Amino acid sequence: MKRIWVFTLCLAFWAMGASASERCRDEVFFRRAHLTVTGALPSSQECIKFLNDNNPNKRSALVDRLLKSELGIKYMQMHWGDILRIKSEFPSNLWPNGVQAYNRWIYEQLLNNVPYDQMVRGLLLSEGSNFRSPAANFYRGFQKRTPENFYANINLLFLGNRNCEDNGALCFSQIKFKSTKEWKEEIVYLDIHKELPQQPIRLEDGTPLRLEADSDWREAYVEWLTSRDNRRFAEVMVNRMWYWVFGKGIVHEPDDWRKDNKPSNPQLLNRLTDHFIKSGFNMRALMKRILLSEEFNSKMAPEGFYEPQRLPAEVIVDAIASVTGIWSTYSSRVPEPFTFYPPRTRATHLGDATVSSSELELFGKVSRDVSLESQRNNSTTARQLLYLMNSSVLENRIRKSHFLNNICKENPSLEQVADAITLRTLSRRATPQEKQLYKEYMEQNNLPLKEVAIDIMWMQINSNEFLYNH
Amino acid sequence: MKRVYLTIILALGLCLGVNAQRAKSVILVYLDGGPAQTDTFDPKPEAGRNIYGNYKGVIKTNVEGIEIGEKLPLLATMADKYSLIRTMTHGSNAHETGHYAMITGDTSGSGVVYPSFGAVISYMKRDSYNGILPCYISLTSANSRFNEGGFLGNEYKSFDTGGKPEAKEYEVEGVVNKQVNRQRMEQRMSLLNNFETQPIDKHHIDSLRGVNMEFIWGDSREIFNLQEESDSVRQRYGKSRLGQSCLVARRLVEAGVPFVNVRTTGWDTHKKHFQKMNTMLPELDKALSALIADLDARGLLDSTIVLCGGEFGRTPAVLWEAPWNGGRAHFGKVFSYLVAGGGFHGGKVVGKSSETGEKVLERPVRPCDLIGTVYQLMGIDPYGTLPHISEGNLPILPSLLDNSKEGGLLYEITDLKTKDYE
Repeated sequence: MKRIWVFTLCLAFWAMGASASERCRDEVFFRRAHLTVTGALPSSQECIKFLNDNNPNKRSALVDRLLKSELGIKYMQMHWGDILRIKSEFPSNLWPNGVQAYNRWIYEQLLNNVPYDQMVRGLLLSEGSNFRSPAANFYRGFQKRTPENFYANINLLFLGNRNCEDNGALCFSQIKFKSTKEWKEEIVYLDIHKELPQQPIRLEDGTPLRLEADSDWREAYVEWLTSRDNRRFAEVMVNRMWYWVFGKGIVHEPDDWRKDNKPSNPQLLNRLTDHFIKSGFNMRALMKRILLSEEFNSKMAPEGFYEPQRLPAEVIVDAIASVTGIWSTYSSRVPEPFTFYPPRTRATHLGDATVSSSELELFGKVSRDVSLESQRNNSTTARQLLYLMNSSVLENRIRKSHFLNNICKENPSLEQVADAITLRTLSRRATPQEKQLYKEYMEQNNLPLKEVAIDIMWMQINSNEFLYNH
Repeated sequence: MKRVYLTIILALGLCLGVNAQRAKSVILVYLDGGPAQTDTFDPKPEAGRNIYGNYKGVIKTNVEGIEIGEKLPLLATMADKYSLIRTMTHGSNAHETGHYAMITGDTSGSGVVYPSFGAVISYMKRDSYNGILPCYISLTSANSRFNEGGFLGNEYKSFDTGGKPEAKEYEVEGVVNKQVNRQRMEQRMSLLNNFETQPIDKHHIDSLRGVNMEFIWGDSREIFNLQEESDSVRQRYGKSRLGQSCLVARRLVEAGVPFVNVRTTGWDTHKKHFQKMNTMLPELDKALSALIADLDARGLLDSTIVLCGGEFGRTPAVLWEAPWNGGRAHFGKVFSYLVAGGGFHGGKVVGKSSETGEKVLERPVRPCDLIGTVYQLMGIDPYGTLPHISEGNLPILPSLLDNSKEGGLLYEITDLKTKDYE
C-alpha cells in the first residue's frame, strides 16, 4: 500500500515537470556548474556578469564555455589521472617524465574531445617508450606485471567488473618490457611470435575470441570491448560521468557492476547510454547532457534532486587559495631529483599523486594506489574543521590577503565589504539579513572594519555553504 | 588476592585467543635520513680508521659487556633500561624503500601500499581509544615520503602538530593559535551559527565543531604547554627540537595517546658526517636518555614502548675522499635500533654484526620482526589481517609470513611466546 502511495506521489511530481520552483536559482547553478566542471570557484566579475545576463539560454551557454575551458579540461584530466593511478613513485612508479607525457596525452584527448572508444583503444593498444609513446604508461603503471593483473584492471576500468573469471587475460600475454640506456626509460613491446594458446578464449558473456598467429592479440579483445554492441562499455562510462557530477552513480559504486547491484533508475541510464552511443561516444556531449538535465538543475535535496557534496581536497585547497589570494607552492622531494612546480599551480593541476601537502592530505587527496572511485574520501572530519577553525596557516592567509587589504583601504561601507567577500567566497551577493547580522556583529563586539572583514571571510570559509557543492 | 584475579583474567584472555596487552603506548624516535650505527649503538673500535672514523672511543655501559659510541655518555649510564638490536636488515639503500620498510614492516613487494604501524595501531584502537587528543600524533610532522595511512585511508594518518616545541610558545596547528583568543573565537563561532541557515550536514558538522572547541580550549591544550614543566626538566631533555619533542611525547603518553612519532631530520650525512655528529649525537643522547629516565621515574616505562632508529644505517666505511670529505652513505644491510619499555627487556643485545659491520653474523632482524613484536606487545595479533578496499582481508604483516628470509619476532627480549597465538 505504502509503495503505491509513494509511486503515485512520484508520478504526481513527475507530471508537474521541472516547474520553475523546483529549479535551483541562477546563482546556485552558476557555482555548482563551475565547481563540477572546473573544480574552481568563478571570479566575482564572472559571477555578476552571469547574474545580470538576460539570455534565457544562459545556462546552456555557460556549460558550453566551461566544458571547453582550460580549467574544465584540466579538471577532467584529474578524474582520469585518479583512476589511471598516475603518479611518479610507488606503486605506479611512472617517474616524473612519464607522468608528464601521460598527462599531456590525456589532456590532448580531452581537448580534442576524442571519442571514448578511440581513447580507450589508444590506451589498451599502446606500445613503445614510456617517454615517447605516452599511452604505453598504461601498462607500465603496474607493480604486478602479469596478464591477469592488466586484465583485471581493464575489466574494472571499462566494464566495472571487479571479479572477472574468464580467460581473456591471454589476449594480454604478449606484453613485454625492456629498458633502454636512457635513465628510467622503458619500452613496452609485444612478443608477437608467441605460440597461440591451446585453450579457446571465451569471454564472460559467452563471446568466443579468435586469436591469429603473429599478430597483436589485444586487438581481438579491444575490438569486442569498444564495439557499439557491447552496451556495458558505454553504460559504465555514462554512469561514471554521472558519478563524477553527482558523487553517486546510477549504479553505485560506479565500478561495481554485478547482477545484484541494480541501477537506481534504469530508464535514465538507458536514455543516457542510447544518447552516448548515438553521439559516437562523445564525452563532452554526454557531460553537457547531464549538466543540462533536470537533476543537475534542480534544487538541493530534500526539496530537489541534487545532494550536496563536500568539495574534493584539491578543490577546497584551491578555493581557499583563490579566496585569500595566497597560494601554496608545491614541490616534491621524491623521486630525486626534486620537482618544483611554478607558483600559483592549482592543486587540481598537479597531475601526480606523489606530489602532496599536509593540507591536501588532510582533506583526503587521493593517493592513486588503486583504480577505484571510492578511494577518494570526501567525508568531513573533526581534524579538517580544526584546521579551518583555528590554524595559524589559514589565519595568516586571511590576514595577509591583498584582496581584503585592498577593499578595506578604499574606506568602504560594511555592506560593500560584505558583498565583495560573499561574491568572492560564495559566488553570490550578501542578503539583507546577512548584512544586518554583520552590522550587529560589528557593533556588539566593537571591532574595526578590517577585523570584521577578517571575521566574515573566516566565517564564510568555515561555512558549509563554502565547503560543499550544493 | 589481586594476583588471583589477574591470573584469572590472563587465563580467560588466553582462552579467548586474545593476548593480554603489555604496552599502552609507543614513542618512535625516528632519525630521518639514516643514523650511523657504527657511531651510535654498534661501535667498531678495532676495525681501523676507515670504519670508526673520528670516533675510536667507546663507552662501557652500566651493563657488563655492552659498549656504545663515545658520543652517548648519558645513554651509557642506563643500558639496563633498553636493549639494542644490532642486526636490523632490509637491504635497501634508497630512502623511499627504506622508510617504507621501517614504517610499515612490509618488504614483500606486493604492490599493495601498507599503512604505517602508527596508522595500524590507530586503526586497531579506533573503538577502545576515545580521548580528545588524536590517537596517532607526529611531532612535528610525519614523514611525507610515504602515504602514512596506506590502504586504511586518510582517517588513520597521523596528526602533525607543526610549530616549534623548542620555541617560547609551541603553536600546535589548529590548537594553539596566538592570533585568536578565546573570546574572539567564540564571537566568530556565534557569527557562524547565526549565518548558517543551509541544512547541509548541519548536525554532524556542529558536533564536530563542538569536539574541536573542547580540544582547543579544554585540558588537552595544556598538554602541549611546556611552560608547565620546570626549567630543569626542559634542560635535561635539551633545548633542541628533538629534546623538547621528546618531552612533549612523554606528556602525550601520560595523557594516554597510543602512538607518538618524534621525527627528527638531518641524519642523511653524506658529507661532513663527523662535524654534524659532533652536535647531533649529544642532542640525541640528552633527549633519549631523559625520555627513558623520565618515563621510568613516572612508572610509565613498563607500559610505553620506546623505539629509536632510522630508515637504514650508514656505510661502515667512511668516504674520506672528495666530494664527501668524511661522509657515510646509505646502508640497509645491517644497522641498529634501540628498543625500551612496554615489555621489552633492558640490558640485552640482539644479533651480531661482522667485525667491519658490513654483514649480519647472527640473528637477522627484519622490519616486520620489530613491528610485529610491537604489535604483539600492544595486544595486536601480528598474524592478523587488515581490510583492503579491493583485495579483501590482507595480512597485517605479509613479510612475517615469508619464510624464505631469516628472522623472527623478538621473543628473546620480551616475555612473549609463540604459543600465545596458537
